[in-house]
Amino acid sequence: MLYYGKKLVIFMISVGLLSLVTFYVSRLAPGDPLFSYYGERVEKMSPEEREWAEEKLGLNDKISVQYSRWINQVFHGNFGRSYKYKMDVLDVLKSRLGNTLLLGGTGFLIIFAGALLLGVICAWKEGGWLDKIICKAGTIISCVPEFWLALVLILVFSVSLRWLPSSGAYAVGQEKNISDRILHMILPLTVIVTEHLWYYGYMVRNKMLDEIRADYVLLAKAKGIKKSRIMLVHCMRNIMPSYLSIMAISVTHIMGGTYVAETVFSYPGIGTLAYESARYKDYNLLMIISLMSGIIIIACNMAAQILNERIDPRMRISRQSEMQEVDNYE
Amino acid sequence: MRELLKTEHLSVSFFTKSGEVEAVRDVSLTVEEGEVLAIVGESGCGKSALCKSIMKLLPKTAKIKSGKILADGIDITDYTQRNMSRLRGALFSMIFQDPMTSLNPTMTIGKQIEEAVRIHNKKMPKKQVKKKVLELMQLVEIDEPEVRISQYPHEFSGGMRQRAVMAIALAGNPKILFADEPTTALDVTIQAQILDVFRRIQKKLGIATVFISHDLGVVAGVADRVAVMYAGKIVEIGTAEEIFYDPRHPYTWGLLQSLPILSRGKEWLPTLPGMPPTLIHPPKGDAFAERNAYAMRIDYEKEPPMFQVTDTHYAATWLLDERAPEVKAPIGERRYGK
Repeated sequence: MLYYGKKLVIFMISVGLLSLVTFYVSRLAPGDPLFSYYGERVEKMSPEEREWAEEKLGLNDKISVQYSRWINQVFHGNFGRSYKYKMDVLDVLKSRLGNTLLLGGTGFLIIFAGALLLGVICAWKEGGWLDKIICKAGTIISCVPEFWLALVLILVFSVSLRWLPSSGAYAVGQEKNISDRILHMILPLTVIVTEHLWYYGYMVRNKMLDEIRADYVLLAKAKGIKKSRIMLVHCMRNIMPSYLSIMAISVTHIMGGTYVAETVFSYPGIGTLAYESARYKDYNLLMIISLMSGIIIIACNMAAQILNERIDPRMRISRQSEMQEVDNYE
Repeated sequence: MRELLKTEHLSVSFFTKSGEVEAVRDVSLTVEEGEVLAIVGESGCGKSALCKSIMKLLPKTAKIKSGKILADGIDITDYTQRNMSRLRGALFSMIFQDPMTSLNPTMTIGKQIEEAVRIHNKKMPKKQVKKKVLELMQLVEIDEPEVRISQYPHEFSGGMRQRAVMAIALAGNPKILFADEPTTALDVTIQAQILDVFRRIQKKLGIATVFISHDLGVVAGVADRVAVMYAGKIVEIGTAEEIFYDPRHPYTWGLLQSLPILSRGKEWLPTLPGMPPTLIHPPKGDAFAERNAYAMRIDYEKEPPMFQVTDTHYAATWLLDERAPEVKAPIGERRYGK
């Protein structure tokens, strides 16, 4: 229990620090928050009107005062209203979250399974032509910038061929139509997957190659086990802990990729929202998005650790001895 | 006695970036049913490569250049990995040097032994497999097998792990066992224990064994026959008796002289001067000539053939040629009662 308690404390501190830094950085960065509230009208405002508007939104106080006010609100369950949407930020978030989870989640699953598959294939055929082709192609493809790839895809598949829609999550009035949703996801998914797949596939390949050279593989061979079983049962078990922790950390990476893809394809998700809120200084919205993203990332890392301990029995032991040391000190 | 394993003029090379490494050169030997053949020599003399090449466990850079391997009468020289996996574990099996790394850390000991049992008895019912696993663990003298069966390698000590490795190697009832320095990575007291277990099992099962070691002291206790390897070649082979009491090759003399037990009470421990030659371009003539105090001119020019001493005893040194001067062996006098 103490173990989880300690984790929780670290978790709280990280989230607190994250909120503090984001709060200060967003407010110190140049830009006009009034723009997101009043839109174009800001340009016609007199200095007095501006003064009044800033006072109304509480932007005249010192940042530390603003921060403590915000924290106070948060502890009362109130994350504030969005300047732009004039609604509670949670409601704004809720309307977009599903879209992002669908896009990012599908992308993550494809990357997770695809990287494993590619890595194992390459390790299996180490040094062969298939391995060489996949390695070279993978490296080249993952070097293509995301936004550029997205634009090329739009140009080819939306503008020239007219096969796929270039933006949005669904056509007007087709919100519940699954095939329409899938159609809208194909291009952004392609971008997300091609950008990240090989990065993780290559890791799996190299981890696998390390394992194949381990002594226990020699013993497994000596007892008559076939290569397929050695790789898929013996080696896989040994790369899983590190693969899972890499994949848990990759959530951040893939989330970032999803945000970029969303922006380019104007996909109505958290990414587009985050971009807008940062650009137009929609402070409350920005805070909740960065907090949420941060919490997801930290939670994923912790989940990775717990999973690791489940799979690799050696980690359980080290945790025990760590705990014993703690007990001794107390 | 039936010949279980035979190599004929076997040569194995590693093709590396810095050139061809001739790890095994023209090795012919036989292993008969139930006997223990020890292969001794310094590090890098090709002992391990020889055994691994027979089981085809060498990396892809290694190739059998020439020669033949006959296992239980079948020519397996050109067997593919797929074919080999059928023989491994069932016909021959191997124990490795370092028990700390040769077990899969994320699988229980029981599972790893079970896997080895099941691979060659696919139809065996579950209960019987478990019974067999427990029997194997008892055979290698692991205490409390019922508890140990569900433990992981990291919960085992080095000696216990080596026993588990032995259990795995024996799971498929192999006819030949390769033991690649099975005690080298263990400390001395555990070494003695493992050797005891090894000897008991060998006697009980009568399994033909190729025992690799660089420690003649260890070999003396287990071997029926001994082959001495130097620079990828067998330089002397004979019964344990012959090798220890009537060695004929100067290299064997050197090895025996440098046994600490023979220098007890003396001021100096004799050692072999120099280092083994690199096997990338083995020297012309006898590879041992450089370090041989008895080397003659012919040693630098022509490789000695295997001279027969008795029916079982052969040595590759020009000293056995009839034209060579008479040299008295500096060791092994006990046999003559001096």
